[in-house]
Amino acid sequence: MSSENVLFQVEEDEVEKAVPEDEGAGSRKHLIFTVDNLKIGIDAEQVVEILNVYTATYLPMMPNYILGIYNMRGQIIPIMDIRLRLGKPPAEEGLLIVIDYNNNQLGIQVDSVDLMLDIPVESIVPIPSQSAQKLVSGMCTLPDGSGTMLVLDCEQLIAHGYGD
Amino acid sequence: MSNNDILDMYIYETNTLLEQLESIVLDAEKENTFSQDNVNEIFRIMHTIKGSSAMMEFDTLARVSHRIEDMFFLIREGTMSVVKDEDRPALFDIMLHSVDYFREEMEKVEAEQPLNEDVDSFLGNINSLIAKIKGEEIPAEPASKAAPAPAAEAAPTAPAPAQTTEGSAEFPYGLRVFFDEGCGMENLRAFMLVTSVQGFCADTDFTYQPAGVESDSALSEVVIEHGFLLQFRSEADRARAVPIVMTAGSVHSYEEQNYVPAPPPAAEPAPAAHEAAPAAQKAAAAPAAPSGGAQPHQGQGQKESLISVGLSKLDQLSAIVGEIVITEAMVTGSPDLKGLHLDAFSKSARQLRKLTDELQDVSMSLRMIPVSNTFQKMNRIVRDMCKKLNKQVKLTLVGEDTEVDKTIVDSIGDPIMHMVRNSMDHGIEENVQDRIDAGKDPVGEILLSAQDTGSEVIIQISDDGAGVNDEAVLAKAIRNGIASPDIEYSHKEILNFLMAPGFSTNAQVTEFSGRGVGMDVVKSSVESLGGSVSITSEQGKGMTTIMRIPLTMAIMDGMEVSVGNSIFTIPINNIRSSIKTTEAAILHDSVNGEMVKMLDGYYPVIRAKDFYNLPSGAEKIEEGILMWLESGDCSYCLFVDELLGEQQIVVKPLPAYVNNFDIKNYGITGCSILGDGNISIILDAGDLYKATRG
Repeated sequence: MSSENVLFQVEEDEVEKAVPEDEGAGSRKHLIFTVDNLKIGIDAEQVVEILNVYTATYLPMMPNYILGIYNMRGQIIPIMDIRLRLGKPPAEEGLLIVIDYNNNQLGIQVDSVDLMLDIPVESIVPIPSQSAQKLVSGMCTLPDGSGTMLVLDCEQLIAHGYGD
Repeated sequence: MSNNDILDMYIYETNTLLEQLESIVLDAEKENTFSQDNVNEIFRIMHTIKGSSAMMEFDTLARVSHRIEDMFFLIREGTMSVVKDEDRPALFDIMLHSVDYFREEMEKVEAEQPLNEDVDSFLGNINSLIAKIKGEEIPAEPASKAAPAPAAEAAPTAPAPAQTTEGSAEFPYGLRVFFDEGCGMENLRAFMLVTSVQGFCADTDFTYQPAGVESDSALSEVVIEHGFLLQFRSEADRARAVPIVMTAGSVHSYEEQNYVPAPPPAAEPAPAAHEAAPAAQKAAAAPAAPSGGAQPHQGQGQKESLISVGLSKLDQLSAIVGEIVITEAMVTGSPDLKGLHLDAFSKSARQLRKLTDELQDVSMSLRMIPVSNTFQKMNRIVRDMCKKLNKQVKLTLVGEDTEVDKTIVDSIGDPIMHMVRNSMDHGIEENVQDRIDAGKDPVGEILLSAQDTGSEVIIQISDDGAGVNDEAVLAKAIRNGIASPDIEYSHKEILNFLMAPGFSTNAQVTEFSGRGVGMDVVKSSVESLGGSVSITSEQGKGMTTIMRIPLTMAIMDGMEVSVGNSIFTIPINNIRSSIKTTEAAILHDSVNGEMVKMLDGYYPVIRAKDFYNLPSGAEKIEEGILMWLESGDCSYCLFVDELLGEQQIVVKPLPAYVNNFDIKNYGITGCSILGDGNISIILDAGDLYKATRG
């Protein structure tokens, strides 16, 4: 439970506003990955690719969760350790999921990538209370009954850093 | 070609022609004449606009351009001497107005809004000028003579009374008043004018249209659309009404019109003026009308040597070329080749190197355009503002041919315009006498310069006006809650208040500046390009704004250095020398800072490893090397591990995400991909030094 506290810090006066978009769009493919035993899903449309060999060039003066930048075929991509971003202990190694959100590219280092799943849009429900981290936009029970998936809010993930 | 493509082409072509037209007119105004070449050129431009507008079925545009074309046909036939000296300012004004008019309409076309259909008053202005050029005074002789001089100056929209068929012979002297857009209650405002006029003029000596404005608020619409028309029996009464109208609130513009009996068939003023022309001129004018086919485009003789290419294609090209440069370095520097002697390979590799260099130069030059267009536009702004504010200012342009990346040129236009307006409005003294008293040239000067330093473009806007009044700025900043009254601020800090959001020193909001959005918008738009803005000012001497903007896609000569596992690139032109030295040569100051003595003085030592908190790197001075760096007025030594060598690098901007963390302020400006695919971080010597000073 303690590990989930970061995601679910309760802010009582904040009203829930994360609503899944595209009502009635049927289902959307999500890529599901694991971070410290948490299952997190991301809209597959935003995934550019998954890399297992990469090196981060250290970039000074950045928060600790930015491991550095990486040259992906000429494009410079920042690499974020999502464990550190969520306040969890760093892992020995991981995989890199490169996402593209509104032309902002970001590499997310995760523990492992599990599978790609069609998630019916209406099954994604808002999380019970707004989390302080604001990195999750919703959650849903996986159709195969293997557990619960949190939907990563790419907008928050990328927007964060503006002004701090 | 789809319809949209045609429309795009039309808008693009027309805008290009308008730009050309504007610069011709501005230059000609200085000479106070159009050369025959200019006249031909304008004729051709108008002809093209007329033709393409008609093709696109923008009839009003075609009509206006047609009349202007007619006018220039007359000037072309009779040379500029047909335009009397006193009419020339009106001619230039009309030309500039028409540029504005076409531009506005182009914007509407682009936004798919309906065009302004009501061009009659504008056409009327053109027609009356044509009539004057033809040397034919209107039967209502006093028309031009009677135009009261102050009115002509105050209302450039109405240089001379327009002819109208509206009204009656009983009240021939009309005065049409337009109110400010959106001022509201136009009908009542109109009625207030009526009551003022009643103060000196008997009810029987004037009339107004539309009637009933005092009670019917629906007439507001009519007043907005067509203006409010006052008609006088005598010209003297009208002359007395002009100052009243001028001083009345919310009046946007007014024009005088003289009633001319309408020729029986013609309703439209344009043909009316045409018919009235003497036969000789009519014959001359005749070919102008069907000139669609008869007049060949003068420009068509020479083959078009320019093509327009979509910017996205160019971006793609430069991206690929950048990749090729890197790949070339990867191939020729491949570790697999180590120790091999491959003569033929080396020869081809050298050839490849040469070609990629050339390719890179060419692809970079594609996106580079001179800033002259942006700079030239300021001529117009200065001219207009000189007239409106009644100041005498000349604009000096330096380095117009400096070439800058297209995206930069596009985004510096507005900031420069803000600054020039600021200088015109706040900078240059209100009163010429103030300038003379201060021992300055009565004609103010605004200097706009561009300079390419290799790594950045420096744009400087300076004026020789009154400069910034520190006390006034500080007082204002305190009033706006930006500054605290208890703190002493330095001159520099006070100047920085100017760029704070919501700051404006001008007591009144004016048409040109003073909305308090100017400077901070300038700052943020320059910063979004990765640049910086600084202001210097000396009271009584003027103010200078300097914008420094990095070249986005630049190739740079850099020195690569290593610190632990990190590789940094320092621009070669910042490096004075590099020195191996010993611990003993390092001096310590009272606050634990380090210094080293070089040739002529002592310089601070900054350890890159400590400053950037790098995980590894040399600790002992003997194990590393000191790089003596200089940038602007700062000079210091950067301690690094090792020099790796000089290299030409392609500067890549850091990802936007990373830039959010303000690392630019720590001297990290970009990065570059090395031959082996690794990344080196490009340092800015000046910013790095500033960061260490806090």
